Amino acid sequence: MSSDVRFTDFKSDKQPTWCPGCGDFGTMNGMMKALAETGNDPDNTFVVAGIGCSGKIGTYMHSYALHGVHGRALPVGQGVKMARPDIEVMVAGGDGDGYSIGAGHFVHAVRRNVDMTYVVMDNRIYGLTKGQASPTSRSDFETSTTPEGPKQPPVNPLALALASGASFVAQSFASDALRHQEIVQKAIEHDGFGFVNVFSPCVTFNDVDTYDYFRDSLVDLQEDEDHDPNDYEAAKEVILDSEKEYQGVMYQNENSVPYNEQHGVTEDMSEIPDGAPEDAMDLVREFY
Amino acid sequence: MAADLNWAIGGEAGDGIDSTGKIFAQALSRAGRHVFTSKDFASRIRGGYTAYKIRTSVDEVQSVVDRLDILVALTQRTIDENLDELHDGSAIIYDGERSWDAEIPEEMKGIDVPLKSLAEDAGGAIMRNIVALGAACEITGFDVEYLDESLEKRFGGKGTQIVENNKEAARLGQEYVQEHYDVGDLGYDMETTDNDYVLLNGNEAIGMGAIAAGCRFYAGYPITPATSIMEYLTGRIEEYGGHVVQAEDELSAINMTLGAARSGARSMTATSGAGIDLMTETFGLVATSETPMVICDVMRSGPSTGMPTKQEQGDLNMALYGGHGEIPRFVVAPTSITECFWKTIEAFNLAEKYNTPVFLVSDLAMSVTEQTFPPEAFDMDAVEIDRGKLVDDEEVQEWLDSQGRFRAHAATEDGVSPRSIPGTTDGAHMSTGLEHDELGRRTEEQEIRVQQVDKRNRKVETAKNEEEWEYREFGNPDAENLVISWGSNEGALVEALEYLEDEGVDVRVISVPYIFPRPDLTDEIEAAEETIVVECNATGQFADVIEHDVLTRVKRINKYTGVRFKADELAEEITTKLTEEVPAQ
Ligand SMILES: Cc1ncc(C[n+]2csc(CCOP(=O)(O)OP(=O)(O)O)c2C)c(N)n1
Ligand code: SF4
Ligand SMILES: [Mg+2]
Repeated sequence: MSSDVRFTDFKSDKQPTWCPGCGDFGTMNGMMKALAETGNDPDNTFVVAGIGCSGKIGTYMHSYALHGVHGRALPVGQGVKMARPDIEVMVAGGDGDGYSIGAGHFVHAVRRNVDMTYVVMDNRIYGLTKGQASPTSRSDFETSTTPEGPKQPPVNPLALALASGASFVAQSFASDALRHQEIVQKAIEHDGFGFVNVFSPCVTFNDVDTYDYFRDSLVDLQEDEDHDPNDYEAAKEVILDSEKEYQGVMYQNENSVPYNEQHGVTEDMSEIPDGAPEDAMDLVREFY
Repeated sequence: MAADLNWAIGGEAGDGIDSTGKIFAQALSRAGRHVFTSKDFASRIRGGYTAYKIRTSVDEVQSVVDRLDILVALTQRTIDENLDELHDGSAIIYDGERSWDAEIPEEMKGIDVPLKSLAEDAGGAIMRNIVALGAACEITGFDVEYLDESLEKRFGGKGTQIVENNKEAARLGQEYVQEHYDVGDLGYDMETTDNDYVLLNGNEAIGMGAIAAGCRFYAGYPITPATSIMEYLTGRIEEYGGHVVQAEDELSAINMTLGAARSGARSMTATSGAGIDLMTETFGLVATSETPMVICDVMRSGPSTGMPTKQEQGDLNMALYGGHGEIPRFVVAPTSITECFWKTIEAFNLAEKYNTPVFLVSDLAMSVTEQTFPPEAFDMDAVEIDRGKLVDDEEVQEWLDSQGRFRAHAATEDGVSPRSIPGTTDGAHMSTGLEHDELGRRTEEQEIRVQQVDKRNRKVETAKNEEEWEYREFGNPDAENLVISWGSNEGALVEALEYLEDEGVDVRVISVPYIFPRPDLTDEIEAAEETIVVECNATGQFADVIEHDVLTRVKRINKYTGVRFKADELAEEITTKLTEEVPAQ
């Protein structure tokens, strides 16, 4: 397969069971289009999905895929890419999956800068477990387990990424379909770890971070002609601005060297000889 | 005249104890002598005591013994720690010029050598241990020239001057003892042979086995005593197109390994203690997604942080039963250092033939012990690779359903499904930790659930029939006393047979490298008058398993549809069961 791949090739025949209106529909569509647009096909793509409503994406998309353990999607994705530099790797999961139970992996995945894409479907809530606070929930957001709100500041995932040495930091909005697809596409094309936090509203359990809220408040960095994603200081300013919500590519390191290149990991590791490697007896002789 | 010599060097961590011991062990090995080494890390007394011990003989040695003939003591504690092992004829090499007053037990021979001063004469105080090695050579009657080659190996990278200084240091030690002591013949037979031996430990054998088996990816998080597998692979596996990555924790390590394995790379992770607990989180996913992978547990004393530098075979239940729910896995426990090599290779083949994770269970004792072997014991030409039902672009076609979808979890007769890896055209599929249908799509349908559980269990039945799950046997096969062991106790047991023979005790030893599936020992146990199971743990985890195997069989009713038992259904099942034969095994 190649140029004749359409984005629907990335669709599986399972009908999504997301609530009607869930942001994840738009997030997934944009991802599929971005994958097709960047010349990938399902047989050369590996999608790793987290656990959550968001994690169901692995079932609704068609490609090589693994739907794993809650919070551990990033390590799986990195393992795939290290073993198979020829494969396009995309990891997707929720804000709980990525910034709570998987937060440790997030920091280190960012640092490693493996050439892959990480899409976080951020609805600022635990959807699948029916509406508890997530690490990105507002501090006064009332839920079943936080009746008066978490009373803790939300994690700023973009800042966390930047502080961890990110080479690509972006944010998009599921319902701004074109921009979302464009931004994910840039993340795919980026040489390194392309991180996109996607506002992907939960229409069932989050009545504050709604479509309307994001539509009204989002500032698009593309319209702000002055924003240069290669400018680290400018990126810092936008990312740390707690007054506004932004979409666009906040930061991109032009000199990013992805992990595999950095470490000379360039071979397809799936191919091995029928017996021990030819000069394996050298390994034994080392012990003389 | 004792056939074997037991030598040790001890001091504080940081005194270069390990590298000095290794130099001597290598020299003995180069001289065609067999060597078996062991290490004391921490001690009963708190502090940094550490020792490297060598048992050497022209015959094969596979165990430590409670006897120390020559001790290089860099601290008084080294002597105190080893009083039980020292005997009347033991010689203790120490440096009388140093500040501590060595208390040498009367019956023993104190050899006072100015290690530091002589080392300074040779070019630097840092070489004092090498001076001691020279002194040890003189006492044992072992030619000091045998040290040269291992000194070159150890210091070659630092330039010829350093090598020459070390050689000189050894000679100064040897000459000092020759001039100042009349050691006479202490009775050690330091015969040499023309045999070429290699000297390696269990973790090195596992690492080498992994490369031989085509392992290309290793992710791990440092933990004693597993780290040295990672260190062995680092710098070597790259030569064969592989990669080692230090993960942020064991949760990540096993998941990275899983990702690499699903991409078609032969992949492994290794850990110990707390690390295996963390990996258990992902174990069920590995097994239920039917991903071939080797998980190595180099056991140490638990629970919790336990005694991190001490030996224990305490994780058998963990390997057998770890993780919630029920899922088959293979558990293989090499019984010797050569077996560490061969069983690692076998583990990779088993994993890929049956799309099943394999626990490779070793332990601290085997990981730090170095032993000599003829190089043919690791004959790379004998290595066989079996990748199981890995399908290519053509074969994948046989496994598509009517709508062209790849049946990654096809419920085959033998329970083994085909495996397609990324890049294989038409092989794209989803895998999940959720119960799934043949295509890998989640389901809670009772019929499919049962089909998949049965299919996964069928793999074990197939493996039981197809593979050889043999035990290793020593001693008298007709003896009325049967001793069963698993893992690293084999060497000590084999040598124990000699002592037992002297005592007139007739014993048959069965050493079991396969924990699951495992050989059925019912006949062997029934034929014996007495059966003893030997293992390094408090509760007898393997003994439990063995007892279980020979128990009277019960009939079983099991339900795993996800729906609880119902009374009428149970009544009916019980009636049916009562008419059935009791299963043989
Ligand atoms: C180890 C573990 N703990 C808890 C759960 C239960 N659980 C499933 S999804 C989830 C949180 C999901 O939140 P998020 O990642 O934001 O995904 P969303 O459903 O909002 O898309 C939790 C706690 C689990 N599956 N595994
Ligand atoms: S609960 Fe929320 S996140 Fe989950 S599917 Fe429904 S709308 Fe989407
Ligand atoms: Mg969420």
